[in-house]
Amino acid sequence: MKILKDTLTGLKVRDAMRKQLIMLDPGDTIDCGIQYLIKYKINAILVGKDGQKPLGVVSKTDIMGAWYSGFALSTPIEMIMNSPPFFCSPDDTLNSALDTMKSNRIYRLYALRPDSNTIEGIIAYPDIVGLLYHYCSNCDQGIFNKTEALHKDRVKRYKVHEIMTKQVESCNEQTPLESVVEILWGSRFGAILVSDDKNYPKGVISKTDVTFCYRHGYDMSVTAGKIMSTPVALCYEKDPVESAIKSMILKDLHRMFVIPKKHQAVSGVISLTDAARLRSGSCHACISSRIRIDDD
Amino acid sequence: MKTTAKDVMVTSFKTLSPDSPITEALEIFKSSKQDGKTIFGIMVIDKNGSIAGMISMYDILLILLPKHVKIWGNISDIEINGIIERATSKLKNYFVGDIMTPKVISVTPETHLMMVLDIMIKKHVRRLPVISNGEAVGMVYISDLFNHFLERV
Repeated sequence: MKILKDTLTGLKVRDAMRKQLIMLDPGDTIDCGIQYLIKYKINAILVGKDGQKPLGVVSKTDIMGAWYSGFALSTPIEMIMNSPPFFCSPDDTLNSALDTMKSNRIYRLYALRPDSNTIEGIIAYPDIVGLLYHYCSNCDQGIFNKTEALHKDRVKRYKVHEIMTKQVESCNEQTPLESVVEILWGSRFGAILVSDDKNYPKGVISKTDVTFCYRHGYDMSVTAGKIMSTPVALCYEKDPVESAIKSMILKDLHRMFVIPKKHQAVSGVISLTDAARLRSGSCHACISSRIRIDDD
Repeated sequence: MKTTAKDVMVTSFKTLSPDSPITEALEIFKSSKQDGKTIFGIMVIDKNGSIAGMISMYDILLILLPKHVKIWGNISDIEINGIIERATSKLKNYFVGDIMTPKVISVTPETHLMMVLDIMIKKHVRRLPVISNGEAVGMVYISDLFNHFLERV
């Protein structure tokens, strides 16, 4: 007997994976890699030869590291790729895919067809969030489906502060880009907050911004204030997770910084990755309603 | 009679630099529409005069496409106006070199038209730069190629 206890139980990688795959030739340059990352709005790119099993993968973190290490933009991408990529099967369960990502501290898996060694899709945290959001939006208990009469919730909804990451890496507007890269590299955070002396958010620098600077020949001494993106996307600690996810989906964001109340300092950050790690919908209803005992 | 790319290519065409702001590309697309000969792809030439890539309507639409659009199908209360404005305003931050297609298939003026046709069909491209001695000398559009064949039917 086993207990199936979350929304993802029974779902497979193929139910959530994306099928659009971008692959670079090992001889293509880092510059070309950055172009593809920007153009297709992806965080990593496969490296390999057409029709063959991919050799490696290059992420924005790798590209940021290449810049920090002094690699020229004309360097072949194979010099900085991680090899081999992490694979799964399209028929693996989503839960096992999440376990693999968590235990290996990676953010995506490539779904490989074992019979032909070809890639069928890619699964990353935002894809899983998409599936969870789909589930919540079709649920009677979904926060956006409840009518006025039913609005008094009987179910406990997850709030942003319950799943946010409380540690936020920040710098000020005078911090040189080199230090920003060091912080991003060391913390494995996807973005760093730029705040003023009262810790109020002024801007944000993501790995995407850093790779953009690399491509455009910026000097590492440029200050954070010159390259940060504004405004900072914010949400409140007590917002329902479902609302925060919806905002991120519609605003093309991967993360939002969290404040306790208006005009207060940032207390955390919530990302689509955090939401995926919840492995359930955005309220406690589905956990209890979907628990069932399954005979072996 | 041998018929080659040079017989159907246009020799008057706009080009861009990889460092051109994307707004410059948008202006060319807009003005071509006004001139009555709508173009959907522009050659990008580097400072040495060599072809660096192509920027097409598709490249621009790709940047406008929201990252999480796959999930949008489940959201019924989207205010689309604000979203389009946000996407178009982000577009202005890019340079041509950021979003162009760097790997470009090209032909020479001497490439046989059947070879040009073969490339266009197999690679799903609607325009091919014509390169001679490393320099862009023309562009073959699929519509011109089609009209060329029509005249011979």
